[in-house]
Amino acid sequence: MDSYESTHQHIASSRLKDYFIGATPLQKRLESVRKQTSFVPTPPRRKIPQCSQLQEDNDPQKVAFLLHKQWTLYSLTPLYKFSYTNLKEYASLLSAFIAAEKQKGLAVEVGEDFNIKVTFSTLLGMKGTQRDPEAFLVQILSKSQLPSENREHKVLWTGWFCCIFGDSLLETVSEDFTCVPLFLANGAETNTAIVGTWFQKTFDCYFSPLAINAFNLSWMAAMWTACKMDQYMAATEFLWSVPCSPQSLDISYAIHPEDAKALWDSVHKTPGEVTQEEVDLFMDCLYSHFHRHFKIHLSATRLVRVSTSVASAHTDGKIKVSLNKSSYVIFPYCYIVFKMYGICIFHIEEAQWNANLRQ
Amino acid sequence: MDETVAEFFKRTILKIPMTEMMTILKAWDFLSEKQLQNVNFRQRKESLVQDLVLLCEKKRASVHDAALLDIVCEDIDLFDMEQFKSSFKKILQRALKNVMVSFRDAEENAVWIRIAWGTQYRKPNQYKPVYVVYYSQTPYAFTSSCPLRSNIPLLGQALTVASNHHKIVKMDLRSRYLDSLKAIVFKQYNQTFETYNSTTPLQEKSLELDIHMDSRIIHENRIEKERVQRVTQETFGDYSQPRLEFAQYKLETKFKSDFNGDILAERKEPLRCLIKFSSPHLLEALKSLAPAGIADAPLSPLLTCIPNKGMNYFKIKDK
Repeated sequence: MDSYESTHQHIASSRLKDYFIGATPLQKRLESVRKQTSFVPTPPRRKIPQCSQLQEDNDPQKVAFLLHKQWTLYSLTPLYKFSYTNLKEYASLLSAFIAAEKQKGLAVEVGEDFNIKVTFSTLLGMKGTQRDPEAFLVQILSKSQLPSENREHKVLWTGWFCCIFGDSLLETVSEDFTCVPLFLANGAETNTAIVGTWFQKTFDCYFSPLAINAFNLSWMAAMWTACKMDQYMAATEFLWSVPCSPQSLDISYAIHPEDAKALWDSVHKTPGEVTQEEVDLFMDCLYSHFHRHFKIHLSATRLVRVSTSVASAHTDGKIKVSLNKSSYVIFPYCYIVFKMYGICIFHIEEAQWNANLRQ
Repeated sequence: MDETVAEFFKRTILKIPMTEMMTILKAWDFLSEKQLQNVNFRQRKESLVQDLVLLCEKKRASVHDAALLDIVCEDIDLFDMEQFKSSFKKILQRALKNVMVSFRDAEENAVWIRIAWGTQYRKPNQYKPVYVVYYSQTPYAFTSSCPLRSNIPLLGQALTVASNHHKIVKMDLRSRYLDSLKAIVFKQYNQTFETYNSTTPLQEKSLELDIHMDSRIIHENRIEKERVQRVTQETFGDYSQPRLEFAQYKLETKFKSDFNGDILAERKEPLRCLIKFSSPHLLEALKSLAPAGIADAPLSPLLTCIPNKGMNYFKIKDK
């Protein structure tokens, strides 16, 4: 028994040291959950939600500005003793921290105004179920030094934290922790680093860059292609990187969006759901069409980027969501399925935003 | 005079540009000065050629004399570089008020041309010039990208007229490396191994494989591996490939699949795809695909035809 216990703890600490410091009861709890879900297969089916409470709370203006920007994804461990009632305090603390860091001479951006303002605000509606904690937004704005100028503050950096369908994690975490496992940043990397450092120091958490693997990229490509659009702005495009030596080779494969949709419709059998078989078949068709012409096996190469009219994603953990301006009702929202090992699968779906179409 | 000899004379003389006619005939030294003086050199070329052939007939010119005339034509550089330059410049300057043209002679009968474009009211922009390299002994010219698209037809016209050609056609071949473009267009890339013996080197290669490997390691599919190597070598040759950075294919072909027969079976329209291959050295990368197991051997002719066809932009449709 003794030896088992010690090995058990050893495994626990070596795996978890990246995520948590101290908190033994939590370690044990998480370890038990890990053991239960030691093999986490990707759910073979993902529902395409027709309507959810997300729409009810969404502030279209606030969420609209999240679009058309490139976001870099990070996964974040739960925040210790974070409170939604202290947002103003956090804003001034972070502001002071940033000013101090910049004065230290670290990460100074040339020409940047030292007068900055930090805001923390909640982002209503960006969650999957009512149990999920509210998403919140952090922004760094520049303050104009001249009092006579009453200009709007220029946004220098934006980051938002959210938790969507985090049920499996929420069950295991004590009340002292707030789970917002997905962090998205837009703006200078130096600012991302400063904000990250402050969060890590203040809430005992840890950020790690989130890579999106080829498997998930294929899912995204299939789901985004499945979105019905009134007007397509861009082709459905894939980028593969070929591991050949000594020269690297990139293959870009762009399909007319109508043709991609036709292919998907021909593959898609189950209404309201997307299955693994359908995604595999969709990709297979693309591979075989390519092979017929070029005799190259794309499946042997590495999928690096997918891009559609709806959104684009890069394996380095960068995503961008586009709003189809011409469509009066289409409004994209994000929902995330969180896996125990810190891998987030990020899906972007379109939802009917118009009250008329709500069911 | 034999009909064939007369034809030979006619064709040889037709090849001579009017500006060089007198020079060549004098250098040939078959027709006397007096005879040449009696010829009307201002008439249309066809009529002039007829007169000259008649003169040759009268003087009983033989096929050897015709051959000599041919040699004289080859010897004298029929292309007058100075004339080309002045003609080219004149054409551009006549059309555009503000344009600056500079020339530099290079090796291999090449001339580098630099054109700075202006507009009617603005002086030529020296920071966005277009470069043209024209190889006078060939019907090829290479141009850098032109920032003002509207000037491209004029540039083409100037090149065509100044070089005594009929028309200019844009090739679907683009690269950053002028040497590679030259190698492809002048078919110079495969000259290093003209006397290539296909059997011996392959055997040596197989031997190498054995010497450096542990005898306990055996290759599965050894025969297939060797076949792939052989086929790749046959397709690409043993020489270093000309350097291209990309190839682009615009496909409009119907979807057909052996395994997924009913997918898109009813759809009559083709799939519209745009496929782009990019690499620091595209042809070398493509060459390595089959041996790495990423592609079948032989590789698709759509890829292997790039140097032969001198194209790296393609439009493919179902027949």
